Amino acid sequence: MRVPGLLLLSIPLAAASDFEATIAPLLRAKCASCHSAKTRSGGLSVESRDDILRGGKSGPAIVPGRPVDSLVLTLAATGKMPMSGPKLAGAEIEAIRKWIEREDGRPPVAERDVHAVLAAKCWVCHGRTKKEAGLDLRTRESLLRGGKSGPAISAGDADGSLLVKRIAKQEMPPPKLQEQFSVRGLTDDELAKVRRWISDGAAAGVEQAVEVDPRNDPAVRAKDREFWAFQTPRAAAGGIDAIAKEKAPIAPEAAPLALLRRAAFDLTGLPPSPEEVAAFERDRDPRRFEKLIGRLLESPHYGERQAQHWLDAVGYADSEGGNNSDALRPQAWRYRDSAIRAFQRNMPFDKFLIEQIAGDETFDFRAAKHLTPEHMDTLAATGFWRMAPDGTNSTEQNFIPERMDVIAGQLEVFGSAVMGLSIGCARCHDHKYDPIPTRDYYGLVSILTPSFDPYAWLPGTFPCGGVGADCDENNTRFLIAKASPEFAAAKAHNEPVEARIRELNAQIEERAKPYRERYAREKKVEKAKAAALAAEYETFKKEKADLDEQIRKEREKKKPVPLVRALFELGPEPPPTRILLRGDAASPGALVSPGVPSAAAASIAPFRVEPLAHSSGRRLALARWLTQPDHPLTARVMVNRIWQQHFGTGIVATSGNFGRMGSQPANQKLLDWLAVEFVRSGWDVKHMHRLIMASAVYRQRAGDGGFPLRRIDAESMRDAILKIAGRLDGKQFGEPAAVKVMPDGEVIAPSLRRSIYVTQRRTQPVSFLDTFDKPFLNPNCVRRNESVVSSQALHLMNSSLARENSRYMAGRVIDEAGEDAGAQVDRAYLLALGRRATEAERGAGREAVERMAPEWEKKLKDERPAEPVKPRARWLALAALCHTLMNTAEFQYVD
Amino acid sequence: MSTENRASRRDFFSRMSDGLMGTALAGLFADDLLAKQAFHDLSPKKTHHAPRAKSVIQLFMNGGPSQVDLFDYKPALEKHAGQAPSRDLAAEVRAVRQTGGLMPSPYKFSKQGKSGLEVSEMLPHLGKVVDEICVVKSMFTTHLAHEAALFLMHGGRILPTRPSLGAWITYGLGSENRNLPAYVVLDDPKGLPVNLIQNWQAGWLPAVYQGTRVRSEGSPILNLHAKEEYPPGIVDMSRSLLHRMDAAHRDRHPGNVELEARIANYELAARMQMAATDALDVEKEPAATREAYGMNDERTASYAKRCLMARRLVERGVRLVQIYIESQIWDNHGKIRAGLEYACGKTDRPAAALVRDLKERGLLDSTLVIWGGEFGRLPIAQDPGPNAGRDHGPSGFSIWMAGGGVKPGISYGATDEIGYRAAEDRVSVHDFHATVLHQLGMDHRRLVFEREGRGERITDEFPCRVLQDILV
Repeated sequence: MRVPGLLLLSIPLAAASDFEATIAPLLRAKCASCHSAKTRSGGLSVESRDDILRGGKSGPAIVPGRPVDSLVLTLAATGKMPMSGPKLAGAEIEAIRKWIEREDGRPPVAERDVHAVLAAKCWVCHGRTKKEAGLDLRTRESLLRGGKSGPAISAGDADGSLLVKRIAKQEMPPPKLQEQFSVRGLTDDELAKVRRWISDGAAAGVEQAVEVDPRNDPAVRAKDREFWAFQTPRAAAGGIDAIAKEKAPIAPEAAPLALLRRAAFDLTGLPPSPEEVAAFERDRDPRRFEKLIGRLLESPHYGERQAQHWLDAVGYADSEGGNNSDALRPQAWRYRDSAIRAFQRNMPFDKFLIEQIAGDETFDFRAAKHLTPEHMDTLAATGFWRMAPDGTNSTEQNFIPERMDVIAGQLEVFGSAVMGLSIGCARCHDHKYDPIPTRDYYGLVSILTPSFDPYAWLPGTFPCGGVGADCDENNTRFLIAKASPEFAAAKAHNEPVEARIRELNAQIEERAKPYRERYAREKKVEKAKAAALAAEYETFKKEKADLDEQIRKEREKKKPVPLVRALFELGPEPPPTRILLRGDAASPGALVSPGVPSAAAASIAPFRVEPLAHSSGRRLALARWLTQPDHPLTARVMVNRIWQQHFGTGIVATSGNFGRMGSQPANQKLLDWLAVEFVRSGWDVKHMHRLIMASAVYRQRAGDGGFPLRRIDAESMRDAILKIAGRLDGKQFGEPAAVKVMPDGEVIAPSLRRSIYVTQRRTQPVSFLDTFDKPFLNPNCVRRNESVVSSQALHLMNSSLARENSRYMAGRVIDEAGEDAGAQVDRAYLLALGRRATEAERGAGREAVERMAPEWEKKLKDERPAEPVKPRARWLALAALCHTLMNTAEFQYVD
Repeated sequence: MSTENRASRRDFFSRMSDGLMGTALAGLFADDLLAKQAFHDLSPKKTHHAPRAKSVIQLFMNGGPSQVDLFDYKPALEKHAGQAPSRDLAAEVRAVRQTGGLMPSPYKFSKQGKSGLEVSEMLPHLGKVVDEICVVKSMFTTHLAHEAALFLMHGGRILPTRPSLGAWITYGLGSENRNLPAYVVLDDPKGLPVNLIQNWQAGWLPAVYQGTRVRSEGSPILNLHAKEEYPPGIVDMSRSLLHRMDAAHRDRHPGNVELEARIANYELAARMQMAATDALDVEKEPAATREAYGMNDERTASYAKRCLMARRLVERGVRLVQIYIESQIWDNHGKIRAGLEYACGKTDRPAAALVRDLKERGLLDSTLVIWGGEFGRLPIAQDPGPNAGRDHGPSGFSIWMAGGGVKPGISYGATDEIGYRAAEDRVSVHDFHATVLHQLGMDHRRLVFEREGRGERITDEFPCRVLQDILV
């Protein structure tokens, strides 16, 4: 009985087909004039083994293993073929007979199939970065050359090949190291492939990556290239209002204070302060709204707001995700900060994008003697490529498919956030709707392989114990910015601390010494002595614990050295990139070279890689290609998202997909006008805000086909609550504020800093923010969902965030408005809603406070407090009014 | 959304505000799945076809229960005990350095009930209800790590990039009882499963569809009650003031359905405080029922309580209840005998009682019960010797289902002779997802979420099928 999966399969020797070596030339010489792949007389081609097996109109040309039944042999031996020209010689016929005898009809194993196996199982130690025992298993030549133990393969002799021997005995990959390196032994099928390829002669693959000419690309139909999103935008005459009017009438202008509140939330994510309201009302200049926009754009909160949108689009998180440890990404915040600073300073968007995509290639950072803060930001910007959920820090989740998944996640981010294309579809199959063949997906992969090498992978961040813990060397994805002033400062700070730690360690050593010596001496002591020794040892243990504690405290004093989570190249010789059939890493297809989606490339200067002294230049080429002034997508995608920030929906509603399955632009002329203006202005983001917000379209009143009523987003909601409570901490940049998991599972952010500075841990989303649709970044989000669900009401009614801050707000209101109840209500309205209460509202508010105060009094009296009850009750009653204001639709919506 | 639909939807919310609730409204929103709506909520949706099940209770056995010790009897393991594994099997071992030989199950298997299904002596209670269950013995998954396999089992991919099955179900069906969450997760007070809250996340589906974690001890739902309650008078006055302010605001924006929905939600939140407290109060159950579930036995009490809660929740129209188990009790890498004794001891009786209870109440027909983990275990020993266990086995494992239109008392599919790899009628995770959706009245090919122009589905482009053979 054969038990499947149990016994080592006896592997059938692959038929030693020397077809390529001897038979193919023979048939080509004698038969190909009629039976070439082109001529196919009688439907038969003899150009390849496959062709012969398939046969022609008379059936298969050979029957594997049975020369007598094989048509080719019969016809050749009887002289019927070739019909004209010289007949086959006896030796030639004999060679064909032998070949057919040995032929098993199984599909051939190509060099690339073997490479796929070796790449996944061997290259980690015998490849680009390591060549254990002098052995490199990456090419046929290096296999033949071998290493210290001799050639790895001997063509034609599988069983004599060292490679096969070691694998067959399960010595390689070494079982001891398999877990550590996330590789496993070869399966029967994989070993069979290797054997067969060798015994078939270890033939070299002869293919070359095809160069694509986007103007004449057979993989893309001309009609597809003509799709609107692949054409360079051309500006029409007029401006925003003139063009918008062609499609829809513009509603009358909104009330001034509604506009103020709208603009403040749009540009800073915060409500206007009472002072801002007063200043705006006082200003009689007809251009006061434009002036306001100018002021808001210069507010430090503008940078935070604009960066928040960008962080969504790239999927920023402070943790790796992907597995249970959800390890925190040390100093990930440098990316967040670099984005805030860039937007605050209004860095031209083309420059910004170049740094995101290839900041590390823009200068030779390894040779830089002095890394300025700007350099650090440029490097940190490449963290753009380090955002996707990534479980590869676990050796159980660091196999090739998971690595390819990480790359896929990054390309999804890149596609949706930068190009407005759903590129990911083409990972497994040619895109169904858009002209993106798999070749173009893997062309992009190839741009990344100098850094993202699936076979020489830098795993994700390891969970790392606290500040100052020495785990830098494990976390290979970081650049340690040694040439930066920050490093020098940390070093100067840490040196005395480290000296103290060394000293403490020496003390431990000193105290341990006598015990160690005595233990060695008295290894064989009688029982009584051993007990005494143990007792003394207890004293030592206590002393040591004390010293360890001191060391721990010293360690905490250490400043972390600056680490930059950047993308950078691993060195020369990136691996060849192949199309993976069905996205399966074990099914390699054709070779590809670095490339961009061809359909978008037809009308502009071509993508061209120019290798640099310090890098391959591939990503830099991508960045330069994208930021050409006439690129059909880059500017459109960004202005569309800016429009979306202001109106809730982009001109193309599917802001991450400008392809055929995306929405048509609601007004393409307007989109194109904006895109052209964006480029013309020098990719000036603030300029675009000014233009859009000054338009009559933006200034329409809300509702009824005018400006869309919008709920403020999660972060704005939390930040606004803190702001109107008078508690918002304006501190910018740096380490994120910690979150706390409460016993009931609620995740809270105790910090008073803006939400953008709160730790974004994938497994610990702040419950309040999560409930209001702050996205799980899987991997990114170019447009947020909006849901209406009763848990939102529960959070606003019952969370500590709302309750506690309404008390702070009431306290503030009393301090600022004095004792007059009407003035208090007014102040509360001004803070929460950016307007004064109406007469009726003032009355209702006052009445509510008056009726609620006695309820509190009753409750407080029961507690018999020392302080007077009445003022406290009034304060709490006012807090209940403030709390109610936080719960209103008017507070949560911008109109 | 069509105008007509918008009107009916508005009607739905205003009627809710008046306190008129119920399942009769379920048919009103036929087009919702196709409509590009501005916001998302839990209003009921029309199914693609007549549903066979209204609710699902998933007894999620995270960790990977050992099929060859529980459901999948393999005499060949005895015959070949100690023999080295094949090259293929060896290439799939997680802890390579601890690889041992084939290890037979120490437990006796026997045929049970009228159906004669075989289960091991470790599951005596389940043995008494085998005639109600369908054991699927040919499940397989594609990853050997808990994290990846859990992501796959819940979301269809090995990375956390997808919404969970529960979120899809909630998106597809909406809620029957808006006083309770549509998708409830009952986690074990002793600890969350691997991947933590990511097991029930909504991914890029709107947050409204994610699982609501309901605690079986303490306040069940986040912020259901304030930590410090206002005096009752304050609560009432605030509520009525808010209602007036919001009504005035809504009137300034006539025809805005979102504002209607928001107002309705405040009323619902208030009702949820009552409804949730009532639904989760298992003390209201008769003593005999509590006894049957195992509430009086220390070993089973905690799990029994959650099983009973699950029944009370589905009775009230909750669509999906997932019960997770404390961290990794099925993850028996070592000392598998002790481990299984604990895990089975904790869950066997409550799970069997749940099936019987649902049956007796006539609820089993409309409730699909699913028992299983993210993978199974290998038939070889891990760390052979007295403390041997079994390592993760993704290539073949068993789950069972009961009720909800699944054929009772049958076994489906088979692993190879040693219980290592699913061999006959192989069932992928995607097949499983498609089948669950099918029973709930949804076609996995048509349950689509438009995301940036891409029609997303839980089964994506994966080839898969509904397991018609196991359906009534």
